Amino acid sequence: MHLPHPRLQFQKSVATTWLTLLGYLTTMTMTSDPDPLPALTRSFDRMLGQLADASAAGKLSYQGRVLDAAKRVMKQPGGLAELEARAARLDEAGIFAGTDWAMPAGLVPGMVGNTLKSSDSRTVVLECLSLLRFLAVQKGEHPTSGLLHETADHFLTQVLALNLDRIIGAGTEAARVQASELTPAVDALLRRLLEAVGTDGILTQLVDEVWRILRQRPLQVDHVKTMILQIAIAMGREGSGLGVRDARTGADRLISALFGPSELCREDPGLDAYRARLEASDSGALQAEATGMARAMHDTGLVSDYHAAFLRFILDGGQSHLLPDALGLSSTGLDALRCYQPLVHRLIEVAVHPGTAQAVLGLSLMLERGIMYSPPIAPSLWRLLGASMSPDCEAALTTAFGEGVSPHQRLVAGMICLLGLPLGVGQGNNPTCQSARALSIWALNDPDYLFWLLAQVIANDHIIMYFEGDALDSALLPAGLAQNTPLDADPVSVLLVPHLDRIYAEMGRRVAGRLEDPHRWINPELHGWWVGREFHIAVDIATGKLHDYDRFLRDFHLAYHPLHNGNEPVVHPQPAGIAVTDSNGVFVGWHAITIVRVALDQSGEMRVYFFNPNNDSGQDWGLGIVVSTHGNGERLGEGSLPFAQFASRLYIFHDDGLRTPLAVPLEDAKIDAIRDMAIQSWARDRVGV
Amino acid sequence: MTSKDPNKGHVAILGWSLRCIDALEKFDRRYLIVAPKWAEDYAQQHDIPFLSWDFERLNDRSFELASTLKEMGVDVAIPLFEETVEWAGAVNAVLMDNPRLLGQSMLFRDKSLMKRRAQLGGIRVGIFEEAMDQSDVIRFLKRVNQTLLKLDGDPNDPIHFKAFDKAGCLGHRVIRSPDDVMAIADEEFPALLESHLDGWEFAVEAWIKDRKIQFLNISEYVTLGYSVFVPATPELEKYRAKITEQIEKLIEVFDIDFGFIHPEYFVTNDGTMYFGEVAYRPPGFNAFELMERAYGFNAYQGLVLAFDPKATQEELDAFFPTPVTGAKGHAGCFGVYPRRRVVSELQLPEETENDPYFEFHELAPPMETKVTKRTAFGTHWGLVYFFGEDPHRLRDLLKAQEELDFYV
Repeated sequence: MHLPHPRLQFQKSVATTWLTLLGYLTTMTMTSDPDPLPALTRSFDRMLGQLADASAAGKLSYQGRVLDAAKRVMKQPGGLAELEARAARLDEAGIFAGTDWAMPAGLVPGMVGNTLKSSDSRTVVLECLSLLRFLAVQKGEHPTSGLLHETADHFLTQVLALNLDRIIGAGTEAARVQASELTPAVDALLRRLLEAVGTDGILTQLVDEVWRILRQRPLQVDHVKTMILQIAIAMGREGSGLGVRDARTGADRLISALFGPSELCREDPGLDAYRARLEASDSGALQAEATGMARAMHDTGLVSDYHAAFLRFILDGGQSHLLPDALGLSSTGLDALRCYQPLVHRLIEVAVHPGTAQAVLGLSLMLERGIMYSPPIAPSLWRLLGASMSPDCEAALTTAFGEGVSPHQRLVAGMICLLGLPLGVGQGNNPTCQSARALSIWALNDPDYLFWLLAQVIANDHIIMYFEGDALDSALLPAGLAQNTPLDADPVSVLLVPHLDRIYAEMGRRVAGRLEDPHRWINPELHGWWVGREFHIAVDIATGKLHDYDRFLRDFHLAYHPLHNGNEPVVHPQPAGIAVTDSNGVFVGWHAITIVRVALDQSGEMRVYFFNPNNDSGQDWGLGIVVSTHGNGERLGEGSLPFAQFASRLYIFHDDGLRTPLAVPLEDAKIDAIRDMAIQSWARDRVGV
Repeated sequence: MTSKDPNKGHVAILGWSLRCIDALEKFDRRYLIVAPKWAEDYAQQHDIPFLSWDFERLNDRSFELASTLKEMGVDVAIPLFEETVEWAGAVNAVLMDNPRLLGQSMLFRDKSLMKRRAQLGGIRVGIFEEAMDQSDVIRFLKRVNQTLLKLDGDPNDPIHFKAFDKAGCLGHRVIRSPDDVMAIADEEFPALLESHLDGWEFAVEAWIKDRKIQFLNISEYVTLGYSVFVPATPELEKYRAKITEQIEKLIEVFDIDFGFIHPEYFVTNDGTMYFGEVAYRPPGFNAFELMERAYGFNAYQGLVLAFDPKATQEELDAFFPTPVTGAKGHAGCFGVYPRRRVVSELQLPEETENDPYFEFHELAPPMETKVTKRTAFGTHWGLVYFFGEDPHRLRDLLKAQEELDFYV
């Protein structure tokens, strides 16, 4: 879940504020019950004592209970620290005796990641305790381990480098499906290791990873900010290793974008000091601030709290002529700004604060998209600005984001961000890819409809959609796929997803008896008229086996491949379904995505550009299929694959039903190759009879 | 490993138990583990004095075992499991030159003989009979219910069907109707039939030396076959004097000089004690672990003291704590049986795991997804352990576990 932000403390530097936030995140307890940790720790210590007292022959019979007790401790806030303090004693007591972990020098860092995902919780806990043992050696607190400090340090660094995905925290579909009760604890352990070992050895990879994530311009950047702070701390330490020099340029840009994007705040002086400096600046300096801020923002996708402060300063001080430069606008954006100046000023006034600084980027990109010229958009924004919110909506936003900024301000900021970055929305750690995808499609293609849905929810706590003529009222429907309100998402998702999820589930119930895939009917009704009514599916619903698969692949080419469909571009973004596979090519589950474009990349390869509502599109789907997010013609937030690779993971698509005027023949060899790719991975056990 | 005192006894343990081995490693007696071949590798790896022996084979080799142990200088054999009680009796008869010990062990192994012996000695038992086939069971069911003046159509009082020679609840069935009888397989006969006693069932663990009770524990059953805890509630402990009398009777009737017994009793509403059965070995449901948790003494080491002919009274007095008041709290455990027909994983219920009394579990992940239908009290899939101050809370907690799914 997403934790509330404490009120920003302006007398501190922005970086210290984040640091405070980090500490807050790790120490906060979730319930008002008396803290169960002391009792659990006592019980754990007693069993640890039993294990320590046991003879060599008897250790085996006490290990299981110690692991179970460790699991219970680990799941509590603060529990990890208790285990960390006992790591050496656990080792000496014989927790590893007789197991594969008994000889730490022989352990392989490459195997840790998989073990941490094991379905057997005792194995996961044992691996965690083993990592804590390495940590104890690394800290010099475990002299009898038989390991050298350097060995332990190197081992942990490698483990961290190999598990960056878990540390950065952008959940993949595979990770979400495989998540267990221990997942948060294991993630916390890895973060703790990172804190202890430092980012030095993995800084290059870490910085690359942060850049890779940021290039997709996610709406949710808190976890990225956390990582950047870690990097900053590592770089601030003395005696940084070789990795630091290599990564320095990229890391510097990230750190400065957050904590010192321009001349007057270079050394992170704190917001009050910064405002004082602005007061004392001449017009040239302010101009430099404006362009510096905008450059850092568009370079990284991160907006510093100083940037928000700067925008408020220039509007309050009658310096709005600096706004285009401070937003980094092109002629398109500038024109939109001039047409809607009072509205934009009002949006900044309401939505841009330190704490919602990302709204600056959203605003800039929203202006650049030109969507404000569409007649309903400006009035919709005015309606949102003037709306009063229901107490339930206010409570939901306060629970998700804390109280630093009012729920209404938070929501306006969230909506601006979503409209500026339609492909930046993520489902968080929730099974609601359908709803996240719908939000993104509307933001991209039907923004005034999105405004209408939001207006219904904030006024009446429900939305009404029609399915085959019947009105579905989300307030009257039972919960859908998400059991709780998703809190680890953007403000618009927090309010809309619970309703969309229920309506989606109800539509599913209504077509359950039809013996065909429900998305045939749901997708057009849920999203809009522009979803193609011709429906293609690769598998037979009853058996789950491939059904007329070659035909399916040919139809996909005829519908979407410009060389085979009369060079018709994708007109509206289309929902599609893919079979997600993990990095070994093993089937994980069905997943909703959007086909945004099909086009040649700069090297002349035909690619499908698509949106994945998962938080990170850059996923390895195994057997050489790695989704690219940058460098192959992708726009912000798009993932892409060569057409054939994409087709090999596709199982559902929609088509508008318009006949292709001139069909260019499609070689059998192409289809064969795609079919082989499918059968080697997700369709391995689905070859038809 | 604790250093061994050559002036104290040298004991042979019949059966393989890691807990027991661990206890002996930390005790000053020399020991030898006599167990099946499959344990040999582990014993070698950990330098455990070990003699491989096949207890499944008939008793005609017991003299060979006895002579081997005698040559090795062993003073006494201690049985850990029901199946090794006769072996221990036979071996000890030779080692101690006391043939009566073999006959005594036979009594402990045959539930029917045991009851007759108790009855002859003036101990109260319920109505019982041997059954050779299903018709015997039906006749007994009818006769018992006639005695109770039941009319045709009245619900029957249940009877109990027990294997002669199995430990604890293994093979124990509750029979209420002729239909239940039909479910009994032929190979389960012969068996012992008992009338049902409406009363409070409990178990006793008694360490005996020189015909004297050295320590007596009362284990309270919450539900037979599911859960037990020690020490018992004050409501049951108030019978301690009466129970001690009963155990002393048992020592007389069964002529027990030394060792460890684990009898079961019923106490009816008017305070009358009925003898159920007695075993000459550590109880199931890991009651030794519970006693260690509650009292802090190692019950296996106590077992060795009770058997070792060289143990002195001073040593025993120093070893055992004061019953009930010497306990730091109450320890109990719950035996888990899957409640669903199809299970895929072990999942500890949150309310169990979060209970402050919960300590740990020894549940195995499911080996098969289909659960075989439970006809008799049988083998649970593992135990869940609890510990706490308040015996009533513990009792209710153990009871509540019966309504939870540990396998889903």
